[in-house]
Amino acid sequence: MEPAFRRGDLLLLWNRGMDTHVGEIVVFNVRGEDIPVVHRVIQRFGGGSEPLQLLTKGDNNPVDDTEIYARNAPGQAYLDKERDVVGSVAGTIPCVGYVTVIFGDYPWLKAVLFGLLGLSVVMQKN
Amino acid sequence: MHSSLVRIQNVFGYFTSVAFAVAAAVAVSVLLSSQTPSASLELKNVQVVKGRPHYYSTKREEYAHVKFDLDADLTSLFNWNTKQIFMYITASYPSTSPSIPPPEAVIWDAIIPSDHAPFHPNTYIHPTSKTPSKSKSKNKSKGKPYPEGASPGIVKLSNQKPKYQITDFSGKIAERENATLSLHWNVQPWVGALVWTNTNSYGRWSGLKGGVDKFDFPSLKGSETIKKEDLKTETGAEKNRGSPA
Repeated sequence: MEPAFRRGDLLLLWNRGMDTHVGEIVVFNVRGEDIPVVHRVIQRFGGGSEPLQLLTKGDNNPVDDTEIYARNAPGQAYLDKERDVVGSVAGTIPCVGYVTVIFGDYPWLKAVLFGLLGLSVVMQKN
Repeated sequence: MHSSLVRIQNVFGYFTSVAFAVAAAVAVSVLLSSQTPSASLELKNVQVVKGRPHYYSTKREEYAHVKFDLDADLTSLFNWNTKQIFMYITASYPSTSPSIPPPEAVIWDAIIPSDHAPFHPNTYIHPTSKTPSKSKSKNKSKGKPYPEGASPGIVKLSNQKPKYQITDFSGKIAERENATLSLHWNVQPWVGALVWTNTNSYGRWSGLKGGVDKFDFPSLKGSETIKKEDLKTETGAEKNRGSPA
C-alpha cells in the first residue's frame, strides 16, 4: 500500500458490525494461505440479503487483485467480506513495527539480543 | 540503582513515553484544523457498448464509457498531519432488488502527496497542456500534483476518461437509472486515524460541498458508431502503470 503505508507501520483495524464501503482499506488473507494483504476496496456489490462481494486493488499496483484471488482459488473473482476480510484499517502509527520486521528479516539479531540480555544478567551485581 | 544500564533504561523509557505522547497529541490536533472542501463534478458523456474484460475472454459484457469534468478544491484538508490524500470518484446505481444495497465502483483515483512527503513515482501529476514545442524550461515545472502557483488539493480535469472499466457484475448496465458519480477522499495521516469523506459538518470540519452528479445509463449502442479512443481507459498518467494497465 505504498505510498500510504510502508513496511513496519502499525495498522489499527476495526471489524465490528460495519458495512465495508468502497475506498476503505481492508486486510484480507489470500484464500488458503496465511498471508495478509492490505489493499483498498474499489468495487462492491451484494450486501443486505446477499453476501457482500468486494474487489480490491493496491494503490501502488496498476491492476486489481483478481490475479491474487485466483492464485489459490481458481475462479474466485471477488472477496467475500464475511469469509476473507480480517478487518478494515482505522488508524496508523508509523515505524513502530520496524523492530519486528528487522528481527524477521535478520534472525541472527535475535541471537545477538539474547546474548546481550544474558550478558547483562551475568554482569549485574545482585 | 545508579548504574549506567539503569540510566540508559530510564532515558529510553522516557523517550518512548514522550514520543507516544507527542504522536497522540499530533493525531488529536487534526480535529482543531478547519476544513472547507468543495468540488464540482460533471458528467460530460456516457455511452454503453458491448466489450470484453480481456482480449482473450469469451463473454461479452456491457461496459459504460464516460467522460467527466472535475474541479476540486481540497487544499483545506491538508494540515500538518497529512501525508497524502487518496481522491477517488465512484459510480453507483441502484441494485435490481430492494433488499440489496446499491453496488459501487471506483472509476478514477489519484494519490495527492503533501509537499513534505517523500517522493514516490506513483503519485498524481497535474496534466499540463500539450504544447507543440517542448522547450527545456517548461520541463522543470512538471511533476507537481497541482497547477502552477496553487497548493496540493487543487485538481482540475476536463473531459477525463476513467481509469477503470465500468460494468455491472451481471454484465448488463444499459438503461439503468439513478446512477450517481460522486467524489470521495481518504486522508492518510502521518500518525492517527484515517478519515474519509464527510458531507455533514463536525465542528471545524465543514462537509463537502458539491462533487455529486446524477445521470442515467443510456441504451446499448453498436460499437461501430463509437470512436476507438473513447473506449479506452486513462493510462500512463502515473509512472507505475505497467502494461496491461
